[in-house]
Amino acid sequence: MKNLMSKKNKVIAFLASTSLVTMTMVALPSAARAADPSCTDLVVITQCVGATTDGAGYVVQVPAKFTGTLFLFSHGYRYPVDIPAGIPLVGGYKVVSSPQPAPGGGAAQITEVATAMLGKGYAVAGSGFVTQGWNADSGLKTNVELIGILKKKFPKITKVVAWGESLGGFITQGLAEKYPTLIDAAAPLCMAAGSVEAELTMGGDALWGLKTFFDPTLVGGNYAAGAAGYAQAMGDIVKVLTIAGTLQAAIAANPTAPAWPATSKVPDSIKAIPSRSALVLVGVMSGIPTQSAHFDNSTGPGDPTATAYVSYASAISPALGTLENIAQAAILGVLATYDVELQAGGAIFDNTKTDYAARLGSDLYTYGSALSGLDAASGMLAYLSPLNPAAPRAVGNPNAMAKMRTLLTHTGKINVPTIAMGATADPITPAGNVQWLADRAAEQLTASRSAAKAAYLTSGSYTKPASNFMTIWQKTPAKYSKYTATGSPDTTPAGANGTGHCNTTTKQYLAIADLAYAAANTGQLVVGGKLLTTLRKAGGLSYDPGFKASLLKFYN
Amino acid sequence: MIGSKRKGLGVITTAAIATSALLISAIPAHAEVGVSSSEIKLGITVPQTGPAATGYNKVAPAMKAYFAYVNANGGVNGRKINLIIKDDKYIPQEAINMTNELILKDKVMAIVGALGTANNLAVASKVQIASRGVPSLFVNTGYSGFADKKKFPTTFALFPSYAMEAKAIAAYLKENLPTAKTCVLLQNDDFGADAAAGFKTGGVTFTETVKYVSGTQSSATGQTWIGKFATAKCEVVVLFGVGTANAIALGVAAAGGYKPQWILGSVGSDVTTIKATLNNPQATALMNGAIGASWAPDSADLTDEYAKQFREINTTYNAGAVFDNNVMVGMSEGLLIVQALRAAGTNPTRKSLIAAIEKKGSTFASAGYSALGYSATSHVGQTGFWFGKYNLAGELKSVDGKYTMYTTDSAAGPVVKTEQKRLPMPAKGLPSN
Repeated sequence: MKNLMSKKNKVIAFLASTSLVTMTMVALPSAARAADPSCTDLVVITQCVGATTDGAGYVVQVPAKFTGTLFLFSHGYRYPVDIPAGIPLVGGYKVVSSPQPAPGGGAAQITEVATAMLGKGYAVAGSGFVTQGWNADSGLKTNVELIGILKKKFPKITKVVAWGESLGGFITQGLAEKYPTLIDAAAPLCMAAGSVEAELTMGGDALWGLKTFFDPTLVGGNYAAGAAGYAQAMGDIVKVLTIAGTLQAAIAANPTAPAWPATSKVPDSIKAIPSRSALVLVGVMSGIPTQSAHFDNSTGPGDPTATAYVSYASAISPALGTLENIAQAAILGVLATYDVELQAGGAIFDNTKTDYAARLGSDLYTYGSALSGLDAASGMLAYLSPLNPAAPRAVGNPNAMAKMRTLLTHTGKINVPTIAMGATADPITPAGNVQWLADRAAEQLTASRSAAKAAYLTSGSYTKPASNFMTIWQKTPAKYSKYTATGSPDTTPAGANGTGHCNTTTKQYLAIADLAYAAANTGQLVVGGKLLTTLRKAGGLSYDPGFKASLLKFYN
Repeated sequence: MIGSKRKGLGVITTAAIATSALLISAIPAHAEVGVSSSEIKLGITVPQTGPAATGYNKVAPAMKAYFAYVNANGGVNGRKINLIIKDDKYIPQEAINMTNELILKDKVMAIVGALGTANNLAVASKVQIASRGVPSLFVNTGYSGFADKKKFPTTFALFPSYAMEAKAIAAYLKENLPTAKTCVLLQNDDFGADAAAGFKTGGVTFTETVKYVSGTQSSATGQTWIGKFATAKCEVVVLFGVGTANAIALGVAAAGGYKPQWILGSVGSDVTTIKATLNNPQATALMNGAIGASWAPDSADLTDEYAKQFREINTTYNAGAVFDNNVMVGMSEGLLIVQALRAAGTNPTRKSLIAAIEKKGSTFASAGYSALGYSATSHVGQTGFWFGKYNLAGELKSVDGKYTMYTTDSAAGPVVKTEQKRLPMPAKGLPSN
């Protein structure tokens, strides 16, 4: 989830210097002085740092021209363990708990967003939370306390908007459900929703699929206790990346019939199917999007009227998109599974009763070309059958799973005006997360309207309940893949809108902030022309109440 | 005086109410997306370019030509139909993109004649036309699932399903070629799976079943197929592939001197596609003597009133396009769409359009020889096939001269032979329902 990359750790750097104001890092007070923030009055803002009683550091910045509205940000998932140097992509990561007052994909963007918000007269604040990993419960507790501290310190705060990204979006919704009187509006962005189990099932399915098809030595969960388990998890990251790298090379060498990794132990009958099709099957059955930052599934290199172009778009691009996405999803799957297993005390993923054919549903036909036809897909699904001893299912620990289910879970109740933002091809928190919340919101609206109609029959007065929830979508453009002159995919451009995890522009963040500000101060969502104008100016955002993303496969 | 004043106010009030009522009645109760006072906007996604375009790229222009003819004759209750054609190249994601454009940008009232099972399933799943309430009329696929109103409440089938066709062919085989060693070519997807289920229900056991993955058909793969059929000594081969696959099979077999009794499924028997695939204008000769199934008249049948009327419209409104079965399909769909729009009322809405087909769709005039199955509980269109034999020109001629229909359902229902019956073509091809 958000904040997975090591570059995100540079928040401290941001706090040390911003472009708008020059700030001086103030040593965080000890827990004993938790309710006593240390403040510095600068020319245009007041900045305070402190710690809540659990020891979580926080920062708040209040502009001189303050509107009275505070934006409390909850950061996303940060790895809970250090990662040894040498592991590709994520090696050298150190656990960090520095506070983050605004969203962004790195120090520069966080600075940019915070600066712009301060310029609008919004105060910004955020904790670093005392523990990392899946910390929804402790993060919620920290935020509750922090709101009290900040309101006491800054009596001019009249409205509070809670917002957060990824896991921070989960915490934000939790705050809105459990403590609605503390906040006036919520904006969960690229959120995880529902439960940690729903989210981790995607990672569990993906890891199990990769293990079963490509490398049975992948542990994939039920990690050992202590150092041995840590070593297993780190080893899994390497194995996942090795599988991805091997498949990538195989597809590059022979896109039509890429070879299987040498680590694969599937029988020759399965190896007769292109390995890319097994990859697509794993991705689709897990719920990982086939569209990715650089693969749109709708174009290919060369002449658009050629057979090769159509075959690439239908069969190769979904495989490469899955590959680009699954590496991120599987790394998170490893670390979050390891993390939650430690919290729960045992294996928390169980697919002994999972019907992967049912998980595919009509995708079996939609991705027919990518899956190399119905027979190939059926053959692969048969290999994944629980009856196949060569594909042993993952068995969860009932006690651990029960404990996992005691972690913060959403009811989906919408208590305050809520503006959720989701991307249609987010590989870490797929669009099905926000859709789950949108569905709950729709149910509540229907129920409240029915109640209002029933009340009308007795009282004679009717006020149509207004919706208190909206989803703003980041949708992928129709075509965005780029190809080199030789027809190879060009993965150097920035990821397309609607792809990647929390891939949000500063303008988009600020648009959501403006909508949340208005909602907090009026008690109503911005609708109509003003909404559409705000979204249009931000670019890449759409309000489309008719759009319903597919739910996470957990719900199938 | 007071009394007269009160009377006067009463008159004014009454008049004002009456005027308001008139004004209100003149304004449509609900202005529907894609429907203005002068226009009804519809959209279609089809492969207009790319390898799947051959033949299929004639369907949408033919539908548009039919609408142009209707527009030139007053339109639908005074509104002209504007058909927006989007090229999806037969790529599912592109169908999603194009349908999104049609609904969100072009703001069409309905999707019509969208082609392909995978594309329609992708659109149903990712664009959510059902939850949006967008009608998808007369999809251009025989996948039996689209007739399931519960799963696809705004989608209506037109063609009899692949399963129905397979059951009809099975019945025909049992009657006419009961002892022949029979084999089949199937596409390895929903199309083939639907058909395989129908053949199984119909009780046919194939000596050899060859499947190909869509998009892999080529001369090389064709050699493999025919090799398998020849090795198995198949006396009857059912070619239940798409036109390009069937063409390749016919071409390779002819080149190798392999001459089974061919039975061509309706999807893959389009002469335009077969000639284009083999790049041979004389390729229809390869179809000579093959048995074929069809739900509608052959476009070359000059005695058929539907084919005759559509041919005339094609000549004037379709920029000289060669009149063939693809044109027939496009115009047949257009004819149904116009009737549906008319049945939906003077100010049609998406809801009233769907309701109209459910209520009155079974009474619409259609080129197909079987009854339309639309009702409040069914979105099934045509339900039967007749059998014919292809001649040298690739024209399908009824084997019994009577167009006896083999009607059935997509499930386990029996195949029933009936006389063909249909409503007459509306006068001048212009519905007046």
